[in-house]
Amino acid sequence: MTLLHKDPQAPVAWQGELPVTNRYTYGLAGEKFFRTIKDEGHIMGTHCPNCDITYVPAASFCERCLGKLDEWVDVGNIGDVVTYTFLNVALDGSPLEKPEIVAFIRFGDGGLIHYLGEIEPDQVEIGLMVEAVFKPKSKRVGSILDIKYFKPA
Amino acid sequence: MTAKIKEFPGISLSEQDFKDGKILFNFDKLNGIYAWDTGVGIGSYLASLKAGVILGSHCPSCRKIVVPPRTICEFCFRPMDEFVPLKDTGTVNTFSLCYVTWDVQRIKEPEIPAVIDIDGASPLHGIMHMLGEVDPKKVKIGMRVKAVWKPPEERVGSVNDILYFKPIKEA
Repeated sequence: MTLLHKDPQAPVAWQGELPVTNRYTYGLAGEKFFRTIKDEGHIMGTHCPNCDITYVPAASFCERCLGKLDEWVDVGNIGDVVTYTFLNVALDGSPLEKPEIVAFIRFGDGGLIHYLGEIEPDQVEIGLMVEAVFKPKSKRVGSILDIKYFKPA
Repeated sequence: MTAKIKEFPGISLSEQDFKDGKILFNFDKLNGIYAWDTGVGIGSYLASLKAGVILGSHCPSCRKIVVPPRTICEFCFRPMDEFVPLKDTGTVNTFSLCYVTWDVQRIKEPEIPAVIDIDGASPLHGIMHMLGEVDPKKVKIGMRVKAVWKPPEERVGSVNDILYFKPIKEA
């Protein structure tokens, strides 16, 4: 005889939740980068005079020569689309009526990944110049989502 | 700090700095909901805890009674043959005085987790639980303890249906 028959009243599964939270600080360069977005509505980068590379988002150290970067440059709010994709499915897996457009937008020698807006999907093309649309200043919290989306410039 | 390093590089932050908005940060909460299939053995164990009984299971080959109950013997890998209701008394096998909670808060009065060998199970077979109603200095290995249960209507089928084990005096 074996114990194959389970008590029908017995619980089938033990349910719980892992309380995992985190708080990410952006670091020295990231702090200044996001602070400028929040307070002034500008996208900043750092320039390495040795390698002539402009890092966007701003970095504290050059990835190539490991030199310290303290030359801050305003790269403007207009960049060009390097690559893009259409999202037809929302985060929870439900289908979207209108696709969301996510693009990599070049600034300096780097760039940002963000949404495109005020544009029809068939108008998007590589090389399109796009401009950042910021939230109103009172609603900015110091996050990349303080930029609502990029629209054709 | 070590003898060589008096101060580590970097900027230390206090809770107040976050509150005052001196530092920008991103807060995130992971979706950590899970459901763990209890199976036949542990499912019956949790159901019987709700009824106020600690359940074990018997291996006909090793003639051992283990707690919590399992359907397959861990020693000989043969199927176990029956569930055995055990007593809610036992003996402290080992214990610890814990001055830090699970989320790393310092506490003055220690929590006392202990492994308790349950009466009715084979020797050295027990469950891990908390000790209560006891002076931390007087906890000893070999101490006799008894379970303090939640009121029946509050039990949900969890090992926390036993609040803690308290010492008993035996004649």
